[in-house]
Amino acid sequence: MNKQAQAEKMSFNTMWQKYGTLGIFVLLVVVLTILKPESILNLQSIPQILNQSSVNILLALGEFFAILIAGIDLSVGSIAALVGMIVAKMMVAGIPVMLALFLGVIFGGVFGFMNGFLVNKTGLHPFIITLGTQAIFRGVTLIISNARSVFGFPVEFITFISSRVLGIPVAVIIAVVVAIILAFFTKKTKVGRNIYALGGNKEAAWYSGVNVKLHTLLVFIISGICSSIAGIVLIGRVGAAEPAAATGFETYAIAASIIGGTSFFGGKGKISGVFVGGLIIGIINYGMTVLTVPSSYQQIVMGSLIIISVTIDRFVATKK
Amino acid sequence: METLVQMKNVTKEFPGVKALDEISFNIQAGEVHVLLGENGAGKSTLMKILSGVYEPTSGQIVLKGKEFSKLTPKEAQENGISIIYQELSVINEISIQENLFVGKIPTINKLRIPVVDYKYMEKKANEVLSKVGLSRTAQTFVEDISISEKQQVEIAKALVADADVIVMDEPTTSLTSSETEHLFKIIRQLKAEGKGIVYISHKMKEIKEIGDRVTVLKDGTYVGTKRVDEVTEDDLVKMMVGREIKGTYHHPTLTDFSREKVIFEVKNISRKDCRVNDVSFRLHQGEILGFAGLVGSGRSELMNAIFGAEPKSSGEIYLDGHKIDIQSPYQAIKHGLAMVTENRRETGFLNNFDIKQNMSIVSYIKNTMFQGITGLVKNKWELENAGKYTQNLKVKCRDIHQNITELSGGNQQKVILGKWLAANSQIIIFDEPTKGIDVGSKSEIYVLMRELAQEGKGVLVVSSELPELLSVCDTIAVFREGEINGIFGVNEATEELIVKSSTGQIKQRGEKNE
Repeated sequence: MNKQAQAEKMSFNTMWQKYGTLGIFVLLVVVLTILKPESILNLQSIPQILNQSSVNILLALGEFFAILIAGIDLSVGSIAALVGMIVAKMMVAGIPVMLALFLGVIFGGVFGFMNGFLVNKTGLHPFIITLGTQAIFRGVTLIISNARSVFGFPVEFITFISSRVLGIPVAVIIAVVVAIILAFFTKKTKVGRNIYALGGNKEAAWYSGVNVKLHTLLVFIISGICSSIAGIVLIGRVGAAEPAAATGFETYAIAASIIGGTSFFGGKGKISGVFVGGLIIGIINYGMTVLTVPSSYQQIVMGSLIIISVTIDRFVATKK
Repeated sequence: METLVQMKNVTKEFPGVKALDEISFNIQAGEVHVLLGENGAGKSTLMKILSGVYEPTSGQIVLKGKEFSKLTPKEAQENGISIIYQELSVINEISIQENLFVGKIPTINKLRIPVVDYKYMEKKANEVLSKVGLSRTAQTFVEDISISEKQQVEIAKALVADADVIVMDEPTTSLTSSETEHLFKIIRQLKAEGKGIVYISHKMKEIKEIGDRVTVLKDGTYVGTKRVDEVTEDDLVKMMVGREIKGTYHHPTLTDFSREKVIFEVKNISRKDCRVNDVSFRLHQGEILGFAGLVGSGRSELMNAIFGAEPKSSGEIYLDGHKIDIQSPYQAIKHGLAMVTENRRETGFLNNFDIKQNMSIVSYIKNTMFQGITGLVKNKWELENAGKYTQNLKVKCRDIHQNITELSGGNQQKVILGKWLAANSQIIIFDEPTKGIDVGSKSEIYVLMRELAQEGKGVLVVSSELPELLSVCDTIAVFREGEINGIFGVNEATEELIVKSSTGQIKQRGEKNE
């Protein structure tokens, strides 16, 4: 195949699509290395950055699917918080850890199902539906927790979530495994292919036999499951389930997906890109912390990055 | 009589096509001038030049004694031209009076700040609304009124704009007969006030009833202008279709299919929106069945209902004598149906997929256990499949990894065909298969259709190009207002006969071969 040979002649468009995300990542690492070499050139910092990014990456992986079908899921943070709270309550009540974690993931799928079901039944844009469920899930979290944090997890859970394999934190391994499964799902399964078709052109996909409603439902279930895993990782890392956990994290998830090269117009994007997108969010947060930039400035940088990425994406899309 | 508009030798060329060739046309005060011609004859193009949407390649337009070589929409409006398109352009979300004044909201100065002059708006609105006989308050939201009332709002809008010339593009397509009567009353009143009306329609009866003069266009050329009371309906049909059939098409076999096996049958299909009413037809082995009719007569709607893309309220479908249930395209595909849709861009190809992915999606979905979601993609098969069909169908492309949006219309259509052939489809519905396609690809598609029929596959063709149907099909069903008005064998069918049948001048109901 001479595909590679022909791809040699690259325009800015293809360059951006292929390496844009990675380029931003490398740029950030370089900038940080120059500004504060000791912050990044040591063995401790890299696992730390990865560890801090894992929740964002997990949320972004779910968000990716919602954006891929030209939708959005604003409820990822709320689902993470709610599932985290449910799992915490179950563990504290004495339910075996593994069963509690398993049920937590099931709950995440059910919450995602509710999003997808409402989108299908009402025909409203996912923005509206998940804007509503975001508040609902958060409200339920507050009710079941009495607006109080839950502590005192079983030791085996704490040791599991904070353990390391070959120096790599378990949270990172979970994020990587989920990413690998989803990469396989998007690249190798028919249902994954159908989701891309649905995102590219809903009508044409319908005429080609794609069951639009079923696939929409699946997308939100996947998003819900990813959010639930993120929620579990989060309570493990913090050591407590907080009712206000993961507030505003949907912004980071959306940012990671888009900076990771997912088209906001649907149908285009890759899991690997989203993973790197999540790392970029992580490194920005880490970098600003070590550079002692106030968190309000971090928000400004994050917001600017979203706008710049989407602008370039749009520019690339319309130029084609 | 005063001449309001004069269009002189207007020519319009689009890349590769001459849409209008030296057309002259004038509109006088107090007349209804009918513009007649088949689909694609150039009526709409001519009117879009008059309203400033298109810029003519050459020619002049004289409005109120001023000569223009081209018009902007604003100039057209300022010089008294108003167009009411078939797809009404009223805005549903605002009130009738706001619709009437869109773009020219009257203002009044209060404390030196210009604010909307609602008093004047309402007064003027009530005045024009009573003129067009619309008994609604000016504050009614447009989404709450019927289609015929929306049309009256459009006419009222033209009156607010002080139009001298009002163009109506097939205004009665979605009106009932009493609503049509009411519309004619308004038109007569406008005539009496000295307005010039351009009336675009296919309906012969209407033309005789309301028209004063008629100008016929055909393939972008001028055929003639006559006084309506001096011509018969037959004369008009002859003027419309009297064209030579170009000799590049392949002639169908003229065999009698009634003895052949029925491979596909549709019984009493209706839709809730009444765009298809109780339609039945049979397709025999080896036969290509065409569907003629005016745009909007319900042919595509029927095909979409058969294919499960849009809901049907009743009706049965039989494949090889077995009743099949189709509620979605997925089910249709599972039963071996295929549909090459009219709008490639909207419903045909996936713009984010390359050629090989476009060619494999239907096969993947067809070969699954449940709703297209089980199973894995097979990269090797995908490459072979795309290689095979790009070669067989002579798709001109760099390679099969090329994005489909980079291909020409004809090649995109071939890729779409490839995806259906790859899925081994047995009944293939072609909806306007050669729309916007170059001549070379066209004849290749015709040859392919014949080959498919000879292989024993069912071929259904919807087309608005009569020469295409006459040269490709063995049998032609003519649609009129959601029903089959006649079925003709190709040996008895002529353009004249089909036009007469599709405009309701002749009636031949019921199925053939019975």
